[in-house]
Amino acid sequence: MSADALRTHWTTPARHRRIADTLALGLPLALAAAAIGWRLAGPAVAGLLAIVVFAVALIVARQRAARHDLPWLIRSLDATRPELEDSSALLFADDAPLSPLQSLQRTRIATRLDQASPHDLTPGWSKRLFLILSVLAVALIAAALLWPRAGEGPPTLAPSDEGLPARPGIPSLVGQNLRIVPPAYTGLPVRDSASLDARVPQGSRLEWTLRFDPQASAPRLLMLAGQPLALRQEGANWIATHTADAAFLYRVDPASRRGATPRLHRVDAIADAPPQVKPLTDSLTMIKPGQRSWTPAFAATDDYGVAATARLRVTLAIGEGENVTFSEREIPVTGTGPARNRRFAPRLDFPTFGFAAGGDMVVQLIVRDNRAPGPQEVRGPSLILRWPSPKQPESSGLTGMVNTTLPAYFRSQRQIIIDIEKLLRQKRTLAPDRTLARSASIGGDQQILRGRYSQFLGGESEGQPELPTADADGHSENDGHDHGPPVSTPNVFGEKEDVLAEFGHPHDESPASSLDPETRAILKQAVDEMWQSERELKTGHPDTALPYAYKALRFIKEVQQATRIFLSRVGPELPPIDASRRMTGKREGLASRQLDITPVKRQDGPAAAAWRALGAGPDAIRGPIDLAPLEGWVRANAGRLPDALALSGAIDAVRRDPACASCRAKLRAQLWTAMERPLGQPARRRPADATGTRYLRAIEGGGS
Amino acid sequence: MIVAALLILAILLAAIRLIIWHRAAGEQASPLRLTLLLLLQPICAGLLLLGLFPPATIGGSGTLRIATAGTPRLAAGGTPLIILPEAGTIPGEAAPDLATALRRHPAANRIEIIGRGLTPRDLDAARSVAVRFAPPQPPKGLTDLAPPVPTAPGASFTAGATLAGLPHATVELLDPAGRITDSATPDPDGHVRLTGTSRTTGTADFTLRVRDGNRTIEQAGVPVVTQDSARPRLLILAGAPGPEVKYLRRWATDAGFAVSTQMSAGGGIQLGDAPVSIDGATLRRFDAVLVDDRSWAALGGGRGALLGAVRDGLGLILRASGPLDGATRGQWQALGFTLKGGNDLAPLALPKPPVVAIARTRQGITDADRPDDMALPDEMLPEVTRLAAAPAGHDTVTLLQDAGGTTLAAWRALGMGRIALFTGVDSYALTLTGHQPLYDQWWRSLLGAVGRPAPAPAHIDGIHWAGERMTLCGLTGDAQAIRPDGSPARLIPVNGCAAFWPANAGWHILRGKDGITPFHVQPAGALPAVRAARDRAATLMLRGDAPATAQGEPRPGPSWPWLLGWLLASALLWGLERSRIGRCQSAL
Repeated sequence: MSADALRTHWTTPARHRRIADTLALGLPLALAAAAIGWRLAGPAVAGLLAIVVFAVALIVARQRAARHDLPWLIRSLDATRPELEDSSALLFADDAPLSPLQSLQRTRIATRLDQASPHDLTPGWSKRLFLILSVLAVALIAAALLWPRAGEGPPTLAPSDEGLPARPGIPSLVGQNLRIVPPAYTGLPVRDSASLDARVPQGSRLEWTLRFDPQASAPRLLMLAGQPLALRQEGANWIATHTADAAFLYRVDPASRRGATPRLHRVDAIADAPPQVKPLTDSLTMIKPGQRSWTPAFAATDDYGVAATARLRVTLAIGEGENVTFSEREIPVTGTGPARNRRFAPRLDFPTFGFAAGGDMVVQLIVRDNRAPGPQEVRGPSLILRWPSPKQPESSGLTGMVNTTLPAYFRSQRQIIIDIEKLLRQKRTLAPDRTLARSASIGGDQQILRGRYSQFLGGESEGQPELPTADADGHSENDGHDHGPPVSTPNVFGEKEDVLAEFGHPHDESPASSLDPETRAILKQAVDEMWQSERELKTGHPDTALPYAYKALRFIKEVQQATRIFLSRVGPELPPIDASRRMTGKREGLASRQLDITPVKRQDGPAAAAWRALGAGPDAIRGPIDLAPLEGWVRANAGRLPDALALSGAIDAVRRDPACASCRAKLRAQLWTAMERPLGQPARRRPADATGTRYLRAIEGGGS
Repeated sequence: MIVAALLILAILLAAIRLIIWHRAAGEQASPLRLTLLLLLQPICAGLLLLGLFPPATIGGSGTLRIATAGTPRLAAGGTPLIILPEAGTIPGEAAPDLATALRRHPAANRIEIIGRGLTPRDLDAARSVAVRFAPPQPPKGLTDLAPPVPTAPGASFTAGATLAGLPHATVELLDPAGRITDSATPDPDGHVRLTGTSRTTGTADFTLRVRDGNRTIEQAGVPVVTQDSARPRLLILAGAPGPEVKYLRRWATDAGFAVSTQMSAGGGIQLGDAPVSIDGATLRRFDAVLVDDRSWAALGGGRGALLGAVRDGLGLILRASGPLDGATRGQWQALGFTLKGGNDLAPLALPKPPVVAIARTRQGITDADRPDDMALPDEMLPEVTRLAAAPAGHDTVTLLQDAGGTTLAAWRALGMGRIALFTGVDSYALTLTGHQPLYDQWWRSLLGAVGRPAPAPAHIDGIHWAGERMTLCGLTGDAQAIRPDGSPARLIPVNGCAAFWPANAGWHILRGKDGITPFHVQPAGALPAVRAARDRAATLMLRGDAPATAQGEPRPGPSWPWLLGWLLASALLWGLERSRIGRCQSAL
């Protein structure tokens, strides 16, 4: 056995013991941490905390085990085994050459070494520490599990914040708690509010726990608009429950209105918002070649949760032109992700739906939230998948502005060719003058056609055709229009930008001259060929005209393939009205009539009156104000007011204490938001004084 | 002079008594003592006379230094320093006002003002002396505030303010409910205009707030008075029925005008209200007439009567219903509107509507018949056009402009009345797209500018501070000022004006024979920079009119040196009489 192996043999049991001991100590701690984590944040955190504590314990264990190294072994052997004669170091020293004496001693004690087992060196268990940690862990776990949760068990009462002076013999509120139990579907925890004002989800159950001193006999919760709510006694406390379906104002009345009137408390009911659907795919998608399915994606969010299943409405529009058939169906889809932000990405296979070329697939997601009762349903925006027809060129965006004018003329050119060919077939049977006449007649048709095409070129192809040797764009001194006088401007350095104005002029007089240059060139060649064809036809040579006609047809085909013509959109130009013809027809039964009109009445009377009464103007009332009409008006017009509840509260505050200046100011501020803005009445100008009148009379003659 | 005669008599009697006494004293008498006593008597009497009637001082080097608000403490020392109450506690001679100080220092013919300047209280007194004033740096902050003039119910009003030394500040206008109803940044000169809307009649307190980032620098109350005016009577003439006249009639009827509408349907058929004839007597019953180009052309001879009525105070609004024909254009040009430009229609640049939150604060609650979203501006801008020709002229006043700065409406005076020309076409589209406030503003300002004048309650303008004297004018007979707490103060008018010294801030009411006028008083510490700027400017204006006859009239000089001298002389006299000096020591 080498020295290394020997050392390992002797230290391993101690190391193992040390690791086991440390892990045993870590176990209660890990359990306690897991329990606290579970209590505070759920099982996932509990597991995570346990793993972290265990990992730390493992690291500590490894470090503690590492202390059982060679020096420790030698030290321990020398301390516990006198028969080794303080020479155990020799047993494990193998690298340095030993002196003869050392070798002798080593062989002596080597035989004695195995008289004991390595397990004798293992350290003991840390029993006491384990005990302490276990007790601590049990205490922590017990605390974590038994610590009272908010909303469970009897609530802790907070001191009252009514701020009223105590009067002997009359009960007053001393302890208060408002427990809010939101509807189960919201998933919100029950919470205790120390204040009696709260904002709660709509439909929450409210539980008031109140304590009075001295004990009240029949305390009530007075709703500002509605029936009072009686409290029932439970031990020393008084309890009332109410479901918050709408916002309301209330006050605690401990002594049947015998004491001072306490302030109002406000409970706002926050309505559940309908879910929101946001498409994650473009609203219009074009199909890709070879695509067999489509996965539109939507994100649905809600304040409390979106139902996991939704419906997808798929509308197929298949067909072309006027022959389009629609089919609609709804399929259930399942979402992924957390409840408040779900993602829906259904895969739609084309064969399943019968989706084919030339069709549109429109999908719309219909989601519900988890409100109970009556989930809210929302339809999301529509997404379109378009599979264009292979035949028709795609024309998105400019549909309606594109006018394919040319094909109509194209058929005419083909008709001319057919006519020529027909004439050539009949030529032998016809008299020469008859042939000439018919040829000339076809030539006339050709001329008309040529004229129409020339319009697209600005009419400049009228007249002489260009010889093949003419320059490329066919522009010469005698091309049928005015080129202006010869330019004689001396060239100045730096002024050469306007070359077009100097050497040419733009030819786009035609409204349709928005053709690009290539198309123009082709069209021009077509017109030239037509001219040749026309000339041959008119001179009675339909056979020689035919090649030109074919060439013209070919060029026109090229033009048709090349482009479309864009026409500017103009409004209708109506003829001017002829006033002399008005009312000249039959006039029986027509007579002057009076048209009645009823003015709309202003509807903020009580609010405006109260506004003036509360102010400092001439109509101010400094004493108590009769607020009953205003209150009635607020109740009747609650829907029109931005915050009718706050206004009611302000009215109540003023009624309770008519001398409270800040309450009056608050009510006046609320009234400003509750008044109509009358329309129309201008501030009249003031009459001029004597001097002004004289002045105006003096300048009267002025401009008239 | 009686005093002098009495004094001389007293001296004589005293001298006689002394001499008799001296004779009686015999050998004990000392001639030296007698001489001294005889000499001191007239000196004492002379000093007393001078003390009672100090000699007049004329001219002299009388420069007084006047410490006003903002005087540094180091300024004490040197020539006499008069401390006015605004200066605070500075060592020197305190005076309740400048007039008192000048009375005390009759020799002063020149004052040097230290600090920010004299308050209105002292300005009159300072006019009698030469003023030297080295103005301090102009104050920083809100240096001027122009509260709106009294508005009509529901009208939008404009409040102006000027900031100095705050280039990055924003100014907000808060409505009485505390909501921001307008926000703007000042132009390079520091001027800023803010718009708000009024509601019903009465007084309202808006607030102007100057902010730099999130920090509020200054805050000031903006008082707004809303008054009802006499109900205007409006005649609408239209050449044909159409949406424009329909919505105008509806708007004017709802707004409380007494409207009479005449729409010609052609062929002598009239639609609308009971027909009225266009002559002077009928038109005297109306305050404003709204005529479109077609009905103008159809009026014929009625045009003369119409213009005659305008000369007597009627308001006339000419409105184009489309491109004008040559004759109408010529006639309108003859009325003083140049109408330069083509005769076709041009697009009208509508101003950008305010953001929804601000629009809501200007809106008031919604009508039961009109849902909320209809009252707020649409995204889509309506197609409102205008004549390409602008209605300007050399003596016209521009009333409305579109967002591009083109004049839409202008008016000019004709006799006692006014004529306005509105070139907008199809303005009714505004009411259909949630731009009713703009429509309302256009027509309201047109009718307000030209309508027949009506007597209105008086109005007290300017900014007044608590603890500062203000002048109320236009008073007749028994007038009262009602304080914010409701207690009345009787005013004693002199030549129709009375002084009033408001003690508290808030709304006061001037109750006179012909109605009641509310006016607002700012707290004493409010708007310090406005006050400082006002005092500085007023004091600077004083520098110019130094009086030429400052040293002309003699003033009584100070009396205390003479009285002090008299006291000393009397004490000496008394001591001399009691002392033994000069007496013969017979006992020894």
